[in-house]
Amino acid sequence: MDFWIMIEKMLEGFEKTCAIFFLTLLFSLPLGMIITLLSKSKLKIVSGITRFVISVLRGTPLMLQLIAVTYGPYYLFHISVSREKLIPVVIAFSINYAAYFAEIYRSGIESMPVGQYEAAAVLGYSKPKTFMKIILPQVIRRILPSATNEIVTLVKDTSLAFTVSYQEMFTIGKQIANSQTSFVPFVVAGIFYYVFNALVSFIMRRVEKSMSYYKM
Amino acid sequence: MNILNMSNIQKSFGDNNVLKDISIKVDKGEVVSVIGPSGSGKSTLLRCATLLETIDGGSFSYMGEEVCSVKNGKVVYDKNLNKFRHYFGLVFQNFNLFPHWSVLKNVIDAPISVQHRDKNEVKAEAVELLKKMGLEDKVKAYPGELSGGQQQRLSIVRALAMKPEILFFDEPTSALDPELTGEVLKVIKQLAEENMTMVIVTHEMEFARAVSDRVIFMDGGIIVEEGAPNEVFANTKNERTKQFLQNYSKNEY
Amino acid sequence: MKMKKILAVMLAMLMLVTCFAACGKKQDADADSPSKTETKKKFVMGVDPEYPPFSYLGDDGKYTGFDVEICRAACEYLGWDFEVFAVNWDNKLIQLDSKECDCVWSGMTILPSMKEAGYIISKPYFDNKQVLLVKENSGFNASKDLAGKDVAVQSGTSGEHLLQEDLKSLADSFKNVVACDSFLKCFTELEGNAVDAVFVDEPVAVSYVAKNSGYKIIDENLGAEQYGIAFRSGDQELCNEIEKAVAHLVESGKYAEIAEKYPDINKDNLTFLK
Repeated sequence: MDFWIMIEKMLEGFEKTCAIFFLTLLFSLPLGMIITLLSKSKLKIVSGITRFVISVLRGTPLMLQLIAVTYGPYYLFHISVSREKLIPVVIAFSINYAAYFAEIYRSGIESMPVGQYEAAAVLGYSKPKTFMKIILPQVIRRILPSATNEIVTLVKDTSLAFTVSYQEMFTIGKQIANSQTSFVPFVVAGIFYYVFNALVSFIMRRVEKSMSYYKM
Repeated sequence: MNILNMSNIQKSFGDNNVLKDISIKVDKGEVVSVIGPSGSGKSTLLRCATLLETIDGGSFSYMGEEVCSVKNGKVVYDKNLNKFRHYFGLVFQNFNLFPHWSVLKNVIDAPISVQHRDKNEVKAEAVELLKKMGLEDKVKAYPGELSGGQQQRLSIVRALAMKPEILFFDEPTSALDPELTGEVLKVIKQLAEENMTMVIVTHEMEFARAVSDRVIFMDGGIIVEEGAPNEVFANTKNERTKQFLQNYSKNEY
Repeated sequence: MKMKKILAVMLAMLMLVTCFAACGKKQDADADSPSKTETKKKFVMGVDPEYPPFSYLGDDGKYTGFDVEICRAACEYLGWDFEVFAVNWDNKLIQLDSKECDCVWSGMTILPSMKEAGYIISKPYFDNKQVLLVKENSGFNASKDLAGKDVAVQSGTSGEHLLQEDLKSLADSFKNVVACDSFLKCFTELEGNAVDAVFVDEPVAVSYVAKNSGYKIIDENLGAEQYGIAFRSGDQELCNEIEKAVAHLVESGKYAEIAEKYPDINKDNLTFLK
């Protein structure tokens, strides 16, 4: 196969890899916060169920969750599987990563000194205002390094979408490799992932730097 | 009229009765110091008064308005506690400033977003207060860039910007290096001269003696002795007070 | 602070663009596949895209292979639209069940368990057997020479299945059976001396030996088996139509013509050309 045809095919796949990446971030970051708040709910039943769901999502392979989300509805309710695989893939990735982000948020929130809440309470801030104006901005700064870790992992995890035949970059690379009996596509895929992750790390470092204008 | 009127306050954590039947009245313009050994319940008293803890028995009021009262043997708090928060301010031992906000934002945010006061007016007042506390060149700095003494002065400004009727201090100099305590005490003294109503929990005996109108000695969750500074510090008849003050001066050298 | 805002806006825009791109793609995909199987306008062929010479990604970046070309020609004859869907071989029957494709047709070995599970299986079209691929200078000439050696096999293939069932005694004579998730990995293990032989379908081995020097095939006619096409249970009529179309291709000589293009496929093994 011509090298440029291979690159072209893999770029097509890369577009889909990017779609998984950005859509997953878009949904999982806020969803993770909702899960965190639910897991800290005063209603025991709500927090109990949420914690159980988190433990299932963290305790089972993402590959299994992908299969469950994609094919589960068909086997359970005979809803035919969407030919647009992006939808189940993004759903599975989003809930899985939301569980991980939820744990990161939780550790960030729990690392906040109780004095911040007390100072806000004495000044009369309501609970939502305290959270949005005082706690959350500081939590974001505290969790950025571990969130960056998770985001870098997400870039690499996108390759798991091959489980349900979503034609992202790695799936296509694997197909070319096996069809042409060549390892070049794997090398190319590796370079793509590396460059993408280098870019993500660069952006996250800039964000971290822009937030470190104050001492904690 | 009393600014603060606490009667028969009881508070326990589990089996530990931290406050046993405490009653305190604070008049307008009065400066009250609360002294006593560690674990005597001084800080808990302030935390109850500032609504950070709920009491198990007794009642108290600000400006004659009842914060809580006893009904059928149970303490019932007012449903709208926020209105009482406008009456008092609290200066913490560990400052508890908001590190992600500039000095100015630390001072003006609550008056603007909680009290809904005019932004420009609050800003002007804040700058004036910061100037008074010697922080005028730190307006744009962040709390982490200030010395301990400056941070504590800032937290006093933050409390004052809410225009409280009464200001509580919870060991305001305990977290400071000895050479920095002076600047904070000076500021509190200045406030006393301006007739600010204050309740100060402190270990600075000399300061308490100099600044306060009344001294309360607490031990084991009760008020052991209460009176003018000279009575308590120089001429106490009470054995426990005597022992505490003696131990205290021993520790100082 | 300013930098932070600019970065936030940039990120948000990037996300939005991706969303739109994704949505746009989705509509395109929907437009491409408007019809369902009931209307018989479109036939979606499920293939393992990594299985040359039967189905693979061709030099032009499009799916091709012997099975793909036969199916395309059959659909042309029937006047149906034709589409290739790349399945994940491990999940091929799930994907067939859930109507992502209308058949699995990709050098697929007919297993009794498929019929038992209710799938409709076409007439066999290829006689396959398993062979052992070894290095030319290895000195291995028969399967018994591999006793106590390591042998690789592609997981999910009938080869692996055979080693677990019918050829268990042979497998037991090996030191280890190493399962790799693609045959390229099996061959790489062999090349790197991590294993001593690869247990693989004959056409795949023939194709590999043709492209790479230094290998030979030990052919002991192990595990004779046949390839067929799998349809969902209840799709007997669909199976009949495809079989009829293929029969027509055989008669017209088109079938043999396509087979000519794939020298790695032994014509003697193509059932319909016998």
